[in-house]
Amino acid sequence: MSNLQITIDEHTYEVVLNLPSPNGSGYEVMVDGERVKVLLPEAALHNGELEWLVVGERPYEFVMDPHLTWIKAFSGLHRLEIKDLDAQVSRPRSGDGRVKAPIPGLITHLRVQVGDAVEAGISILVLEAMKMENEIRAPLSGVVTAVHVAAGQTVARGEVLVEIGNP
Amino acid sequence: MFNKVLIANRGEIAVRAVRACREMGITAVALYDPSDISSLHVRLADECVRVESPAFFMDDQAMVKLARERGVDAIYPGYGFLSEAAGFAQACLDAGIAFIGPPPEVLQQTRDKLAALTRAREAGFLTVQSSPEAYGRDQMAELQQAADQLGYPLVVKSYRGGRGRGSRLISSPDKVTQAMRQGQQTAADSENGRIYLERAIIPAHQISVQVMGDRFGNLVCLGEREGSIMYHNQKVIEESPTPCLMPDERARLWQTAVAIARLFHYQNVGSVEFLVTDAGEFYFSEIKARIQVEHPLTEMRAGIDLVREQIRLAAGESLSFRQEDVNLRGWAVLARIYAEDPQRHFLPSPGRLARLRVPTGPDIRVDTYAYSGCQVPAAYAPLFAKLTAWGPDRASSIARLRQGLADFAVAGIPTNIPLLQQIVQAEGFVYGRYHTGSLKEPLLENGAAAPHLRDLAVIAAITYIRRHQQFEPAALERLATGWHRESRRIGN
Repeated sequence: MSNLQITIDEHTYEVVLNLPSPNGSGYEVMVDGERVKVLLPEAALHNGELEWLVVGERPYEFVMDPHLTWIKAFSGLHRLEIKDLDAQVSRPRSGDGRVKAPIPGLITHLRVQVGDAVEAGISILVLEAMKMENEIRAPLSGVVTAVHVAAGQTVARGEVLVEIGNP
Repeated sequence: MFNKVLIANRGEIAVRAVRACREMGITAVALYDPSDISSLHVRLADECVRVESPAFFMDDQAMVKLARERGVDAIYPGYGFLSEAAGFAQACLDAGIAFIGPPPEVLQQTRDKLAALTRAREAGFLTVQSSPEAYGRDQMAELQQAADQLGYPLVVKSYRGGRGRGSRLISSPDKVTQAMRQGQQTAADSENGRIYLERAIIPAHQISVQVMGDRFGNLVCLGEREGSIMYHNQKVIEESPTPCLMPDERARLWQTAVAIARLFHYQNVGSVEFLVTDAGEFYFSEIKARIQVEHPLTEMRAGIDLVREQIRLAAGESLSFRQEDVNLRGWAVLARIYAEDPQRHFLPSPGRLARLRVPTGPDIRVDTYAYSGCQVPAAYAPLFAKLTAWGPDRASSIARLRQGLADFAVAGIPTNIPLLQQIVQAEGFVYGRYHTGSLKEPLLENGAAAPHLRDLAVIAAITYIRRHQQFEPAALERLATGWHRESRRIGN
């Protein structure tokens, strides 16, 4: 048994998951005290891919991101927060001072150097991708402790560009 | 007619051109840089030629050289890249290759936006107000003066830039210098980095009138399209006809568009663009001397293949129909689907498109270079699909577009589809009351509590558990002691 608290677009539901059903093709779930059967038509669920299942007798196609922070279904994109009430932990949010490239692209302007004091929200560099100039901003206030890139450099998604530490 | 055509473009418009060529029995040559090899235009073409980098698509000399080497007799430029470059069109002609678009002298005149405005103004047409000339980096004082003369708010525009790049709205005199620097930075990669000013009309409707002309001076009008819903200077939802005009205003707009096209001796397929006020006054802004992204709207209403006509007209044929043969039926709506992440301020989201299933059914059309498993390359604009829906009236075309968007299944990369879904639900859009200022900053709103949110919560819970089972041994252990034992008990 597993107890989860799911908040979706600011609406919160308590979901209790029971066993996989005897033939292994689904689940029985209690949501806000009501019993619901869920059918999994396909054995494998893939991260970030198109998945589908049937809740009650209502089919849903959906995509969920690897960090489980959103779900996209026919009705659009919905924000998610998942609390595992057994584990007593929320899904972690990233919050360290490492500024990573959100997309692959080209650094066109670098506006900080090591030792600079920065305030949260100020533009620290410009990353050009798909013909758009994207301002990358400081996620928190602090001092620049490392700069790993130079203007003119191409970077991959997720590459650490700049590190900001506490003064 | 041509035997072999080089498609000097990529992506969905290249797919469109390859298909048109093959339908006409013309050999189609496609181009790709290594990052773009998985795109559909490469697979569908008769010949595909690898080029070194995306920059090749802007290199007129190299393009003509390649065209000669491959023995093509015409070049199809599409939109963007070299599509409106008079020098390129001339270089094609000099090499004995037809340019599928207007003649170079027409392009010369339409590309010089200030001269085009002046010419239309002197011929008695109402135009947007502009600065008398374009200004370079070292002409800050002249620019400030021109801005003050023109009045605020105004728009800073790149003289040679396309696709709204470098356009910035400024509302007061003290913002001129800063906007100019930014505008020139963005415009720096275009021909000479100069910018000019236009008096802003707010609120306004951005309306293009589709025209088509042959070399014998015949000109026809295929109706208008409205493209006022945009963000980051990109249009997102367009429709034809526009809901903002009365029938008599529409008739006057078409007549004006044809008259302006005639003034420029326009040939081939193009659009005459206007800003239209809520009072129904229209101001000429420019001629787009090429096929436009949103051309399917017109094709679905007119039943005319615009790309085929472009090729026919460039081959010297006359228009195959007269104005009185044009019958614009019903209503069409188009959504531009971009590889952009609504969760990250609509930053581009290139990458592998793990799954794609596009909507099908009556009067639904999808233009795309993408398919399950292909790459959306980072080097090009983020448009990867266009969804067009037709209906006998506006309400039914919107209903069909809505269904099409809900039905458009994409996984692997984030897209702007959730935002498009919100726009087509918004009251302002549904009632046809919107303008160029309606969607300044895209903002994804939380949906209203729908009955299915509870089902989605269940889905999220199951996905959470399954992923933990799969990827996190610690969780698996916890489940093994709690979950499975429990299950056995209930199972019995």
